[in-house]
Amino acid sequence: MNDRLTYIMGGCFVALIFLTIIFITTILPSATFQPAPSKAAVSYTAQELRGRNIYRREGCFYCHSQFTRYQDWEGGELSQAGDYINETPHVLGTERTGPDLSNIGGKYASAWHVAHHLDPRKVKPGSIMPSFSHLSQDEMTDLVAYLQTIGSKRKIPNWIMPPQEIRDHYALISEKVDVNSSAAANAGRGIYMQNCSQCHGMAGRGNGSVSMTMVKKPANLTRSFYKAYSDDMWYYRIAHGVAGSRMPRWQKSLSDESMLYLTAFVKTLPQSSDTPSGRVDVVSFSQLDAPEALSHNFNQINNLNPSHHNKESRYIYGYGRPYGGH
Amino acid sequence: MNGLLAKTFSAIWTDEPHSASRNFLITAIFWLLFGVTFGLIAGALMVWPDLTKGVAQLTFGKVRPLHINSILVGWLSMAYVGCMFYLSTLLSKRDRLWSERLGNLTCIVWNVLMVAGLWSLANGYTEGREYAELNGIFDWMVMAGLLLTGVNVYATILTGPEKKWYVTTWYFLGALFWFPIVYLIGNRAFVQFNGLNDAIAGWFYGHNILGMWFTVGGVGILYYLLPRYTGAPLYSHTLSMIGFWTIGMFYAPTGTHHVLQAPVPEWLKAIAVISSVFLLVPVFTVLINFFMTLRGRWHMVADHVPLRFAVAAGIAYMLTCMQGPFQATRSINWYLHFSHWVVGHAHLALLATFSMISFSAIYFVIPRIMQRKIYSKGLALWHFWLTLVGWIVMLVDLTIAGLIQAAGWHFNIPVDQWAIEMEPYMLVRFISGLMIVTGQVLFMINIYKTVFSKVGEPLPQSPNGQLYV
Repeated sequence: MNDRLTYIMGGCFVALIFLTIIFITTILPSATFQPAPSKAAVSYTAQELRGRNIYRREGCFYCHSQFTRYQDWEGGELSQAGDYINETPHVLGTERTGPDLSNIGGKYASAWHVAHHLDPRKVKPGSIMPSFSHLSQDEMTDLVAYLQTIGSKRKIPNWIMPPQEIRDHYALISEKVDVNSSAAANAGRGIYMQNCSQCHGMAGRGNGSVSMTMVKKPANLTRSFYKAYSDDMWYYRIAHGVAGSRMPRWQKSLSDESMLYLTAFVKTLPQSSDTPSGRVDVVSFSQLDAPEALSHNFNQINNLNPSHHNKESRYIYGYGRPYGGH
Repeated sequence: MNGLLAKTFSAIWTDEPHSASRNFLITAIFWLLFGVTFGLIAGALMVWPDLTKGVAQLTFGKVRPLHINSILVGWLSMAYVGCMFYLSTLLSKRDRLWSERLGNLTCIVWNVLMVAGLWSLANGYTEGREYAELNGIFDWMVMAGLLLTGVNVYATILTGPEKKWYVTTWYFLGALFWFPIVYLIGNRAFVQFNGLNDAIAGWFYGHNILGMWFTVGGVGILYYLLPRYTGAPLYSHTLSMIGFWTIGMFYAPTGTHHVLQAPVPEWLKAIAVISSVFLLVPVFTVLINFFMTLRGRWHMVADHVPLRFAVAAGIAYMLTCMQGPFQATRSINWYLHFSHWVVGHAHLALLATFSMISFSAIYFVIPRIMQRKIYSKGLALWHFWLTLVGWIVMLVDLTIAGLIQAAGWHFNIPVDQWAIEMEPYMLVRFISGLMIVTGQVLFMINIYKTVFSKVGEPLPQSPNGQLYV
């Protein structure tokens, strides 16, 4: 075989392998990976689309990501593949010089956003976000209209009932374990001691050894409030964590069965009698039929007084913040 | 004035040997200075965010794509093309390119593209995809530039008297075959993807502009320069060829490791992580060759400035290629993603490795094209130390900053609180940027003085270029 033929065959070989790899890693996914739209997928109006283009034009995505990961406990609901159906070009981002924006919609008032974009340090001292005072008034309105859509459909509707898809999922898996049996509760005790007692305490009173490091204290699971929790709500909190707190998403590390055992165990924790007075904790089951009436306004709870953001507050509050949120 | 214009025109549109290489390198150095200056502005905005308040063209979101595109498409790509033009004539034993006029036409296309493309980016005409910001028309101009370069280099090598291909030839021809395909698909020039598929294709491009262009081209140049500088034969040609074939196989599918925690298909992530780790195979072939070729010749860096750049680049290549697979694994990526650590890694690859290789190559090529010694060895040494110390300070600084930032995400500390902790690190990053920019200004002065001065010190005959700087 002469040299020339070797080169030609070698060249063809490299070309073939390379084209195959390109086919597998870029063309094939675009054909096979077509997730159905999730409930968080937004169809943009003309104004929101203009705002999205300004977001892209001004390069916001260089410093702000738009996806919530398992470990972003504070970030809110997890991002699903179906959320991004209408997002072209993608604005996932790669570096968070600023906060993740996947749940920014509805968190602050539009007027707050405008003030923040005109002079970020007036609203958030210590921020290094550029001022966008060069945007026209119309552009600013469009941009804020877009920001208010991001993740706005992903919000938890209320605090005592899980979202519909979680209830559907729970109905499917609940056959595996009888969460009312003492056998399941006993199985859950060990899982609780290994994974939960560090924060929630051996007796579930929220006074575990790690709790002293947290400004937002772990939940006292013996409060009568939690006695109103349904089985699927327990499962939801365990599997998906609690936005705004350091409660992890246990679905990443525990199996469905383990989380059901845990559900069974936490239901057996005694009810304390020391519920603080003046606080409405007991929720009657009849109220569960009208969840909308009960829903807390997530946005108001998370809205912080901007004066807490100055440098001194770091020393007053230490790490962590009383109310969570960004 | 007319005389100067005519002279400039005749220098740009000419058929004289190596003129295309010379024009590419001279303009590449201009875009280098442009790029690092915008990098410095971006670094300054991290410390003094109101510095450019009210100027739409100079907000961080505009400065960053200007920095990236002028460095990637302007400086590094043009320096590579310039070096490929010159080295391919040496490798094929020709005294000139297949067509110098075609090379000069490519250079004109590329510079027009850079001026118009950067103007459009500054004014907000962007595709909004990281690393692929240039708009459709400019994508096609880059494609045209790459294809014209490809035709020229392929024709130079295939029509040359030398029929045995050295490893550098393989790398050049591989790069000029792979990268246009990557660029065409990655910039979605002819097909639109939706949602997360857009991210998958975007990072296929974003990682392979490094893998199939900067790595393949840069390692090819390094393979030529090292034996040439040291006067020692390459340690193992077989090993270098194993590295060449495996790089094509393992590099192309790695892109998805940039969206490892996004909800993209798991099998794609698995392929990306596995091939990222397998990249250690081609990397080790390069490193073994690098260290074994240098064996017993380390003392030469004492007075051989271009070799010093090449050695610094080789060691940085080792660092960046150990770091890359490390942070591409799931558990490490779980912690480090979204942090300044990755910015440090990017500078380690593009500044400390591939720019250093290009500096070394330019110190090698320019004296040979111009037939005169480099203007000043002192300036070259200052350039070396400022760049080296600059990138080391930047890397250490961004790595620490990235770890603090990652801790912020993972221990759930609100951004407002850890962002304040970033202030000193951003200041150090700005200072390191200042050192790097100063180094590049000296580099530009040095090379322009060599090229444009009327009479230079003539080139002595030397086997390995030791006396040229």
